Amino acid sequence: MRLILSLAIATTCLAAPLHAAIDRAKKPDPDPAPAAAFPDFKTVTLKNGLKVFVIEDDRKPTLSLRLLFKGGSTLDGAKVGVSGFAAGLLNRGTATRDAATFAQECDFIGMKLEAAAGGDALSVGAGGLTKYTAKILELFADAVLHPAFPADQLSKEQKKALSQLAAEKQQPTSLLDKLQGKVIYGDHPYGAYSTPENVTAITRDDLVAFHKTYFAPNNATLAIVGDVKAGDIVPLLEKALAGWQPHDVVMPILPEIAPLKGITVHLVDRPGSVQSNIGITETGPARNSPDSAELNVVNATLGGGFSGRLFQNLREKHGWTYGAYSAFGMNKFGGSFEASAETRNEVTIPAIKETLAEMKRLRDEPVPDAELELQRQYNIGNYLLSLENASRNAQRVQDIDLYGLAPDYYKRYAKRMEAVTPSIAQQLAQQYISVENVAICVVGEAKEIKAELEKIGKVIVYDTDLKPVAAGK
Amino acid sequence: MTPARLLALASAITIPFFTASAKDDAPPLVLKPIKFVEYDLENGLHVILHENHASPVVSTYVLYHVGSKNERPDRTGFAHFFEHLMFEGSDNIPPKTIDKYISGAGGNLNASTSFDQTDYFFNVPANQLKLALWIESERMMHSKIDQTGVETQRQVVKEEKRRGVDNQPYGTLFENLAGLVFKGTPYEWVPIGAFQYIDQATIEEFRDFYKTYYMPNNATLSIAGDFDLEKTKQLVADYFGTIPKGPAVQRPQIDWKLDVPGASKDVEKENTPLPASLHAWRAATETDPDSYPLEMLGNILSTGRSSRLYKRLVEKEQVALQVEAFPFLLEKAGMLGVYVIGQKGVPLETLDTLIDEEVEKVKTEGVTEDEFQKALNNQEAEFASSFGAMSSRAKNLARYHVFFGDTNLINTELDRYRAVKREDLQRVAKKYFTKEGRNVLRYPVPAAPAAPESK
Repeated sequence: MRLILSLAIATTCLAAPLHAAIDRAKKPDPDPAPAAAFPDFKTVTLKNGLKVFVIEDDRKPTLSLRLLFKGGSTLDGAKVGVSGFAAGLLNRGTATRDAATFAQECDFIGMKLEAAAGGDALSVGAGGLTKYTAKILELFADAVLHPAFPADQLSKEQKKALSQLAAEKQQPTSLLDKLQGKVIYGDHPYGAYSTPENVTAITRDDLVAFHKTYFAPNNATLAIVGDVKAGDIVPLLEKALAGWQPHDVVMPILPEIAPLKGITVHLVDRPGSVQSNIGITETGPARNSPDSAELNVVNATLGGGFSGRLFQNLREKHGWTYGAYSAFGMNKFGGSFEASAETRNEVTIPAIKETLAEMKRLRDEPVPDAELELQRQYNIGNYLLSLENASRNAQRVQDIDLYGLAPDYYKRYAKRMEAVTPSIAQQLAQQYISVENVAICVVGEAKEIKAELEKIGKVIVYDTDLKPVAAGK
Repeated sequence: MTPARLLALASAITIPFFTASAKDDAPPLVLKPIKFVEYDLENGLHVILHENHASPVVSTYVLYHVGSKNERPDRTGFAHFFEHLMFEGSDNIPPKTIDKYISGAGGNLNASTSFDQTDYFFNVPANQLKLALWIESERMMHSKIDQTGVETQRQVVKEEKRRGVDNQPYGTLFENLAGLVFKGTPYEWVPIGAFQYIDQATIEEFRDFYKTYYMPNNATLSIAGDFDLEKTKQLVADYFGTIPKGPAVQRPQIDWKLDVPGASKDVEKENTPLPASLHAWRAATETDPDSYPLEMLGNILSTGRSSRLYKRLVEKEQVALQVEAFPFLLEKAGMLGVYVIGQKGVPLETLDTLIDEEVEKVKTEGVTEDEFQKALNNQEAEFASSFGAMSSRAKNLARYHVFFGDTNLINTELDRYRAVKREDLQRVAKKYFTKEGRNVLRYPVPAAPAAPESK
């Protein structure tokens, strides 16, 4: 092998071009930019009303399905977590296959079938090799249409969930997520999280009722990505999903999300922490905000990546953290904005102050032209790069439907980001990034950081169950 | 087609072909070949080019054949720390602008350090290939390492370690595991290393490290995506051709022995929420033919809800939250591990006994035809879904070249799984799952606080 490789080298060297003069001292100019074109997809509505999007992609001999039911955990009502258990048990047995049989049939062909409930939707994902398309569709349809929700499987999942909750009490990121949800969303289901009490309260009947009520073809979209032709796959789908009938689905009325007011400080005491997980959080726009695309550029300037101000300031200038970022979290009924970092205990307060100062600077001063140009290109270019990923494109097509976005939303996406000027960016920062109505959320070692945090504001301390701790304790 | 590929194809033909079992009459998977050309520059830089016009994107990937196993025991964490310094700048790139150039070009970037390698990647829109090549060639030719950059990154790397290791439940698992299984080799410390050594290292040491390992003859440049092959060859020659060749790199000599007695360790940590136990054995290196049956054995033991460990520990006994059997195979060492996170209140001894029983069972009984076929099908599915993105192609082409000496394995490695026989799985189970060689690493849950927890 070595000998043959060296022959290859010799041949190449003969043909190798001479070194052209290049100017190393200067950053090379780019060639003309490629256009960011959102790929074509086909939309077909099945006889039962299920809307299907097909993205044909022949790079891999695989097929993936993503069925998205509207509602997600906002449908939980009093039974927090019911959507999650219904999703989690879809692959645990059907009317004709017990859990072990279902697992064996999936695993044997290397097929994955997993479902999960998010805030706005419950998604069922399945995938495998196209040579098994018939079998994949059969198992997928069986799980979606005829789940048995076996009582023994539910009780096993409940037991695991209780262990999982015990583990989460020690995971700083999990504690911070729960704390922020609680602070921003209050009683809205977006802020809910499972407790041992609501895990044990769920019954098999709850899952059966949830499935019966919300698993309707007219309440869902299906995205198919892979080495398939729409004309071939749609008849197979009609056959696999035959018998699935539409019915009216009534969405629950949800509480309003009250915008956050004033500055509050929240601390989950996690003894033994050697870092503080900081999340400076506030109320943000919903997914259908008219400014959603433009806000990418504004956010990136503050904390979208390595070149964002938070990363440059907290990490590259001060060495306080491994990373510092910010993000809008936009959901159907409302959203949040968050700036985050993990810092060693002793720099927790300076890091919070610098983060707030960067948020304020974005509001008070226009972003210099060169910096904004960098951030526009960063967003446009990375959007273009992301179009390589067919599954991500399928999600975007489903998002248009789920969130009621304009049909040409992703076709205009890059152009909208291109149009963000310094004055637009500043106006958006002033509108969407407050420094007066923020919740400063921290997970860390109270005995080392609480006293300093008090200088920012009165600190509400929680234990790792997210229960407020009495002041005297 | 390159001679290297011809050779690989020829060898593939001699491998006995996949025989379908009665239960699976689907034809064997045929993957579309990933075409590439490869050659060496005169300075020893190995170049791999995969031209693909599916999307207007280009991924560049530079692999330096240096990782934490090249470090001195009193300078652990050095290779990874150096990776951070490679973002500082060069003779022609001002400090702290590499990320801005790439971001401003619409791209993204990162790097990673492992036991055996340090790699750098850029993903950029296709019109920015020159920029990517300029930056990578600049930092291969004359990266600039100054005191300010070193001081800041010392702090940053410590935060990286706190975040990933010290502040996480089970965060020290990997360093403890490497310490047990790889004891006596330069794999016994992990890439993140220890705080004190980075503080002790001088700037001269960093410059020496650069001169020793960041040479074109110790590097592979792999480019995948939307470019013109001939123009790109010219660009590569222009940007990298004038970098001087360095002295041959001295590789650490590791006398990898399997028959080393195992050891046990219990790690007491305040933040351990659930009991965890890990059994690990020394195993083959990644290029050993046994690596294929080992991967398949791992799959049968723990992939999916029909796997043995899942069925026994999660489904039947209901004592585990998570189970995993994993071969972790490296250039000059390897391990086979079985890892269980137990449910609340389950004694560690219960987990240990169940792992022992399942390990013993596969040693004495082997695997069924059905399990064997399932493992093969899983390998097919895994290969089919890998290597879609250009970044993944660039990376894996380089890895197959550097560590396997056969770039074309990206197209043919599946045949090596197909050549495995069912008996091989029992054979490797017996060979590596030895009683004497077993290491046991456990994370007990600390004793409950004074106030009893309500149930």
